Amino acid sequence: MAAIRAAQLGAEVFLFEQEEVGGTCLNWGCIPTKTLRTTAAAIEQFHRARELGIDLEGGFKPNLDRIMARKNEVIQILVQGIRKILGSYKIQPLAGRAFPADPHLIKVQDHQGREQKFPVDKIILASGSRPMVFPAFPFDGAHILSSNDALTLKTIPESILIIGGGVIGCEFAFIFQALGSQVTVVEALPRVIGLPSVDEDCSTVLQREMKKKKIRLYLDKTVEKTEIQNGRVKVTIGPSPFLSEVKEKDKKPVEVEVQQVLVSIGRQSNTEALGLKALGLELDARGWIRANERLETNIPGIYAVGDALGPSKIMLAHVASTEGIVAAENLLGHSRTMNYEVVPSGIFTFPEVANVGLTEPQARERGLEVRADSFQFRALGKPQAMGEIVGQVKIVSELKSGKILGVHIAGPQATDLIAEGTLAIQLGATVEDLARTIHAHPTLAEAIMEAAHKAAGASLHSLKNS
Amino acid sequence: MTSVKFHQDHAWIRMEGGIGIIGISQYAQEQMGKIIYVELPDPGTEVIAGEPLGALESSKVTSDLMAPVSGEVVESNQALEEEPTLVNDSPYERGWITRVRLKDPSEIDGLMEEAAYLAQVSKK
Repeated sequence: MAAIRAAQLGAEVFLFEQEEVGGTCLNWGCIPTKTLRTTAAAIEQFHRARELGIDLEGGFKPNLDRIMARKNEVIQILVQGIRKILGSYKIQPLAGRAFPADPHLIKVQDHQGREQKFPVDKIILASGSRPMVFPAFPFDGAHILSSNDALTLKTIPESILIIGGGVIGCEFAFIFQALGSQVTVVEALPRVIGLPSVDEDCSTVLQREMKKKKIRLYLDKTVEKTEIQNGRVKVTIGPSPFLSEVKEKDKKPVEVEVQQVLVSIGRQSNTEALGLKALGLELDARGWIRANERLETNIPGIYAVGDALGPSKIMLAHVASTEGIVAAENLLGHSRTMNYEVVPSGIFTFPEVANVGLTEPQARERGLEVRADSFQFRALGKPQAMGEIVGQVKIVSELKSGKILGVHIAGPQATDLIAEGTLAIQLGATVEDLARTIHAHPTLAEAIMEAAHKAAGASLHSLKNS
Repeated sequence: MTSVKFHQDHAWIRMEGGIGIIGISQYAQEQMGKIIYVELPDPGTEVIAGEPLGALESSKVTSDLMAPVSGEVVESNQALEEEPTLVNDSPYERGWITRVRLKDPSEIDGLMEEAAYLAQVSKK
């Protein structure tokens, strides 16, 4: 995005990439996991065949070779699409490992070890992140897997234990469960996806759905050790280090034996090999790049965007894209700043979870007087017709003005529905505005209107006084 | 039904050998309609009076089940996993939800008799 925007503004652009254009999102993250999820969702529908009035004779089973082939095909289509757009701007991605030798010189080592130098005026660093290694359990690709390994599996594990019940861990938990694995999730926090930006009711919905699907969930627990024995992994689970007090009955470790372990405890910076410290570029203790709101680092002319900025700047592809545009415009003489207040996020579990803006606790922490109003999907026609009734929409709004501060959805198509909430917050809309907007019937979006009606004082699809 | 006590949030409790058996009231199951899933607390879970100890889903609504007393879950009714409608068919017998060892057995004295509970819900 940064390259294209810079080219649009008239710059001559060099783009260096050591793997493939599209980065983590397209090659190792959002896109490959969503293609797997599509298969998982289809399997979920097959399980409901009887309920939907279909006799499945002869049964069905997932074919991992074909699933992975389709995933690779989707990645290829999108990679080629990006290359085509770049080509139209005369940007030729150069393969190799690039690093800034000084603020006006890029050195690139290609895959054969040859070095090339490129004098430049300005630099944008978009070095990204990779799965964080848990030092006690290094990835071996066979028994202890990273999220990247999980996307290149050759067989579906009979059983898998996932360390970390965050976004990535939960998405994989539902995918593997649908593919037929016995799934166990170990999370150190008291709830899954325990991010401050994620509403607690959304975590509750996911935990309940995991229970229904026989995904074993250990909350407030951590993996103490893993031992590989006869091709299987013996995992010892103990109390979470985050607990202030451990009850006697929780002290005893639990042992679980599984075929594979997936470690999804976060991501780490790729900056250590770039020689940025020698350049005097400011990094934080974990190697994330520090940049101001214009995305310029402490070295004038060097900008940074994307995962390289670390979790304090929200590590999401659509944030990185926006940062790329902002950085490109700034380095070409414009003056734009990043606003991280209205950033939607989507979590592709079963059901999906999506949020934008503040949670109720976050709003109260800011000293705001707020109310939170929820509306359950199952009270509406469309979810009933779809047979996908789990979940709710919650709107957090300012008590006096009715201004919408946050929208939190767990339910069918939540990640698409959140766009309405995002626009509402971006435009400073009130619950009245949303409630008075005609929503098509029968649609899932009616749940947003109903939650807004409730907040504005009159839900039409709820029992009186409920 | 004289030994059954009710909590304002629609749970009932009956003592049996020092353990409290908990379910939801006839009134609550009627209001919810056909129960399609009961989220059962695992044995060992600590429950606090007035806070959720599990949840019920009907085709029309999801509702937390509020604990009528504080204590520790001893056992939950596994039959509800296969047949959640037992809560509709037999709310006070086969549709019981969980058994709890009370932290303070006298807590039950603060709960309502059925008549008082019904009087309260009819006011709503």
